[in-house]
Amino acid sequence: MHIMEGYLPAKHCLAWYSVSAPFFAGGVWRIRKILAERPQARMNLAAAGAFAFVLSALKMPSVTGSCSHPTGTGFGAVVFGPAVMAVLGAMVLLFQALLLAHGGLTTLGANLFSMAIVGPWVSYGLWKLGQRLGWSVAVSMFLAAALGDLATYITTSIQLALAYPDPVGGFTTAAIKFGGIFALTQVPLAIAEGMLTVVVMDALAGKVADIRKVSILAGETR
Amino acid sequence: MTLSIDQYAHLSRWRERPVLEKALLAIGMLLLAISLPPWPTAPCIIASVLGVTLLGARVPLRLWLRCALIPAGFLLTAGLTMLFDVGRHDLSFSAAGLPVVCGLLLRSFAGICCLLLLALTTPVTDILASLRKIGLPREIAEISLIMYRLVFLLLDTASAMHTAQAARLGQRNRKQQLRSLGLLLANLFPRAMDRAGRMENGLAARGWNGEFKVLRRTRPLSLARLTWTSLLLGSVLLMGSLFS
Repeated sequence: MHIMEGYLPAKHCLAWYSVSAPFFAGGVWRIRKILAERPQARMNLAAAGAFAFVLSALKMPSVTGSCSHPTGTGFGAVVFGPAVMAVLGAMVLLFQALLLAHGGLTTLGANLFSMAIVGPWVSYGLWKLGQRLGWSVAVSMFLAAALGDLATYITTSIQLALAYPDPVGGFTTAAIKFGGIFALTQVPLAIAEGMLTVVVMDALAGKVADIRKVSILAGETR
Repeated sequence: MTLSIDQYAHLSRWRERPVLEKALLAIGMLLLAISLPPWPTAPCIIASVLGVTLLGARVPLRLWLRCALIPAGFLLTAGLTMLFDVGRHDLSFSAAGLPVVCGLLLRSFAGICCLLLLALTTPVTDILASLRKIGLPREIAEISLIMYRLVFLLLDTASAMHTAQAARLGQRNRKQQLRSLGLLLANLFPRAMDRAGRMENGLAARGWNGEFKVLRRTRPLSLARLTWTSLLLGSVLLMGSLFS
């Protein structure tokens, strides 16, 4: 779910940019460390970014203002780790704005926060939790991808509600309103993305024991 | 497969103009659009930026409309949803929200005009080079450049896969669509990684040290154009702050 260009007032754009900046810097630091040890990981990272972009270009719109397509952030967070996703996400969002006129430059900070920071961290947390509790790879992957998507959509609703509080009910009403409207598309989409991620993960690493699946996918990046 | 915005950006009449000139206009206008109240700033911006895009950079109107159609559609639906109040039991039209929503739509549309001006005249590679100059870390810039290259290779592969699946009734129903998309992505990901691996080997064999050095053909900065742009920005700023 992207917030469109020009949708947020200047103050909000600036605020979201500054909230996202430390995560981006952390991601850059992490990528530099990975590259210093294994320069060949550069190509894996670029391929992952390109893959995420293609994912979003494949299927575009649905109802209600922001648009819907598989984001692949849950998958990316599990395979590459959430810190790296902040940087990959920023690049994908920039490409989407410039190549597809999808999302925007001023709203990039806000979109980065919801899609490439909150979503991946939630997915990653759930994945780790699932591993600790001994859930199967399919179950943890589904929950990580689906709930990561939901977290992204809730964050976007909150961002919009902060910028446009309801004239009567204020922030809470607006958040519920935006959330309710987006739920129509986002809940089915999150479930679809969860299932899709499981299908992808299985087809990708089908012949490998569960524990090794992720490390095989990550290539040189881990 | 090509993306029409990218294709046009490479062919644009303004392709060789310095990025600074184009960015000053497009991003300057964008910043004005979001920081001033929408009326009367947004209409001024829409008029001037559209004029520059269609008459100055000679972007064909049909192409521009095609690019603007999708974001404009989203805007309209978003605006409509904001016009309604969701009560406990009913859905009601909120007349009080009308000016806010109209202002928001105008401002967002102005933003899209500015974004398209930049996107349709400046290829992503040029923008990345400029970002590199203003402090984007080298590693990130290089990864983005490789990513840009890989995007089109992957889009080609994905569209061929999609055609093959559709020809074999892979898009017949919902369940089949999900399965097909899953298979497509599952086959695309290792291919992407494989491509990247081969590219890495090729570059390593040629002694690549992690930085692409390319010649850029750009004209020198034109003082006249910078002045005109600043004047245009200044007048919009003046209009916006005086008449709001």
